[in-house]
Amino acid sequence: MTGQTMTATAEATQVPKRAPRDVMRLARLGSFHQSRLSFMRTLLRRLRAENWRFETRAFEIDARGTGHAIYTAHGPTHSYSLVAFAHDLPAHLRSDRVIATAWDATFTLFDGIPTEADIIRLARNVPKQEAGRISDRELSLSRANRSVRLWDYVVDCLAQGTQPDPARIHEVGYLMRTTAVYGSGKFGAADREQSAARDECRGPFQVEMLSVYLTRAFIMDLVEHMARTRSPDTAVPLAPALRRSFGIGNSTGLGMAPFLIHHPVLIHQWINARETALARIRSLPAAAPAEAAAFRDYAYRARRHAQDWTSEHPVQLAKLAELRADLDRLCDWLPEADLIHDRPWDRVFRWAEESCSLEGQEQIASLLLEPYGLLVDELTSTMSCEEQDCMRIQGAMPLAQLRALTEDIYDWALAIDWRAQDPRARVWYVSEAKLEPRLGQRFDEDLDDYEQPLCPGRDAARLHADLLRSDAATVAEFLLTHPQHRHIIRRVQITGDHPYAEIRDNTIDAGMMPIDMLRAKLSFFGACHFDPRSDRWLRITMFQHAPFPEELSEGNADDWTYPMLDGSTVDGATDAEDMA
Amino acid sequence: MSWSLGEIEGLAKKATRGAGYSWGLAEEAGRATRWLCAMGLDGAAALAQVLAACDRAEPSMIRPARLAAPWAAPGGRLCPISAGATLCDLAETLAAGEVITLEDVIEPLLLYPFVAAAAEMTGTGLRLSYEGVTITRFERCSYLSAADPRRPLAALAEVARADSAPRGLPVRRAWRGHIEPGDAARLGAMAHRTYAPDTEASRLAGAGAGLTDND
Repeated sequence: MTGQTMTATAEATQVPKRAPRDVMRLARLGSFHQSRLSFMRTLLRRLRAENWRFETRAFEIDARGTGHAIYTAHGPTHSYSLVAFAHDLPAHLRSDRVIATAWDATFTLFDGIPTEADIIRLARNVPKQEAGRISDRELSLSRANRSVRLWDYVVDCLAQGTQPDPARIHEVGYLMRTTAVYGSGKFGAADREQSAARDECRGPFQVEMLSVYLTRAFIMDLVEHMARTRSPDTAVPLAPALRRSFGIGNSTGLGMAPFLIHHPVLIHQWINARETALARIRSLPAAAPAEAAAFRDYAYRARRHAQDWTSEHPVQLAKLAELRADLDRLCDWLPEADLIHDRPWDRVFRWAEESCSLEGQEQIASLLLEPYGLLVDELTSTMSCEEQDCMRIQGAMPLAQLRALTEDIYDWALAIDWRAQDPRARVWYVSEAKLEPRLGQRFDEDLDDYEQPLCPGRDAARLHADLLRSDAATVAEFLLTHPQHRHIIRRVQITGDHPYAEIRDNTIDAGMMPIDMLRAKLSFFGACHFDPRSDRWLRITMFQHAPFPEELSEGNADDWTYPMLDGSTVDGATDAEDMA
Repeated sequence: MSWSLGEIEGLAKKATRGAGYSWGLAEEAGRATRWLCAMGLDGAAALAQVLAACDRAEPSMIRPARLAAPWAAPGGRLCPISAGATLCDLAETLAAGEVITLEDVIEPLLLYPFVAAAAEMTGTGLRLSYEGVTITRFERCSYLSAADPRRPLAALAEVARADSAPRGLPVRRAWRGHIEPGDAARLGAMAHRTYAPDTEASRLAGAGAGLTDND
């Protein structure tokens, strides 16, 4: 073969997607970062592109901070209204746990524009959250608590006519954090399928993201309103750039972890989209100088973003140290690196795989997408699916084929000694208190009877043992006498067709960290600054530095996640200018 | 009370698990109940009857003894969840034209979502007949021959390919479901069996207290 044909062949060959057995490990899923494909960014790109219009239809909040407000977003064919209820919550009742019963503010996203009668009905139910009842006119139900650290401080500053100290804002990043955002069909809300045919609702979690985005706008208006109410003569609004530096926080616990296992096809769609995007970019034979410059810029901004990321959790602290070191090395290498020729992005990514931690690798994977919106943004249309159509068992499948699939997908699980205690040390169960998912210790608590099907590895090993003993010809014949394997057989067959559907790690191992599962999902939301508070719940920041609704038409709707290097905001206004 | 279909599916799945079925079959029961409710039928009432009759039954006593027709349960009465799941597993056999008969099926209406799923999987028309009722899945639409297709028991039910225009009226899709309070209570009580009793220790350790959540 001549050198010329070798080059031609190399260029024609696409870089394959990363293997599911490498991607779907918990340690890697727990290192995922937001990207262009994340749901928050998809939402804001749409709101901007379709010229959505926003209005505050009601803001009836009294001096104690109680009352309601309505924020309506008007799209091309439908309107959606965030109905917000503000409460005067005694400090001792404030808790982020799902088992809380009162909150600083409660919300629902109404499908359309609510009437007075709707507001009366919602006022009786939304503040009660799980104990209330909403209807098929509502698309979500959520609540938020104040950051005790910041709320009073910001109200005090603004009431006195001064701007709060950016450094103190920076420590927290938000004034309120949501502690649950319920969507499709929950507590009486409309099922997703009722609105899924609309363009703006088709993508995953677009309704929930819109609700959170409008919630952030309400909270910022509320804090300024409280300052004005306290001291009408001296109060000032927040300076615009400082205002944008407030995101909205979120506390997420174990309840989110089972989602990844309960929705295997959806998870495949998400991860497949990101892996497809990465493979497309790695396959580019060359880059334009502007694209190379853009990547360098994003890398420097990501380094700054990592420096701004705080956590007290020892595991995250270690990961942050690695990430910062990785990004320092990347930024040191970039000025001399050839990012133009010879498949530059594949070389960058292989460099990352060889020299970076999982945090660094996944950050760089997401960064590589940034300059290439035209090439990858359309993949967001592949991130939803008709899950029900994929849940049916293929009964005619020969048993030998099921066995081969099981051995291929779950080789890691078949290698585990399940007689030992550590690999099955945990039990996922649902507590009767508020039906909260929990994780117990199998050998310390009497929980086996309550175990949820959230341990595919062990179940696959049990299935495999019975497959070896069976002389059934087909899956249908085997299932007739082994109904206990129906759940895992469904997973095996789904993963056969959707290779990123299954977490390829032991979800009941003694050392398993549920926060890894939470982070994987939250990264697809677009969350940043993951801050684990234990091995099973964490806090995040959403929409930090994003333009507010009224700024969307003028501002940069997409490029706000990583801080700008000159200290300016996405609109080019610096803090100094705004504060003057 | 108006229920979302997601709530109905969740309640049906948990109740079925609580009645002693495997998780995989409980998932099937959830989807089947949801499907019936989305046809405007009282799927929850049908499931509540089935679970009352099959509560904590030995699985081998309520499922078909073998795949060769006619299907009969060693215990006397066939559970439509177990039998329905098996029908769907044999989608290709049904599509090939084999007729399957079932004897003494409790709440045979609950077989229908599985028959419909088999029709969807194979792109074939299939019909379910019992006690003077015929329900057909034909070109992605369901046709009902009787306004109220629920029967407590079918001495004989039959599933066969439907190659021509079906009898009955097309069913309009419903977006919400209805559950009678008594059925909701019965299903809820069975679902409750899947919840572990709450203890202070599990509240603290199980959800991971960690650092403060009020700052």
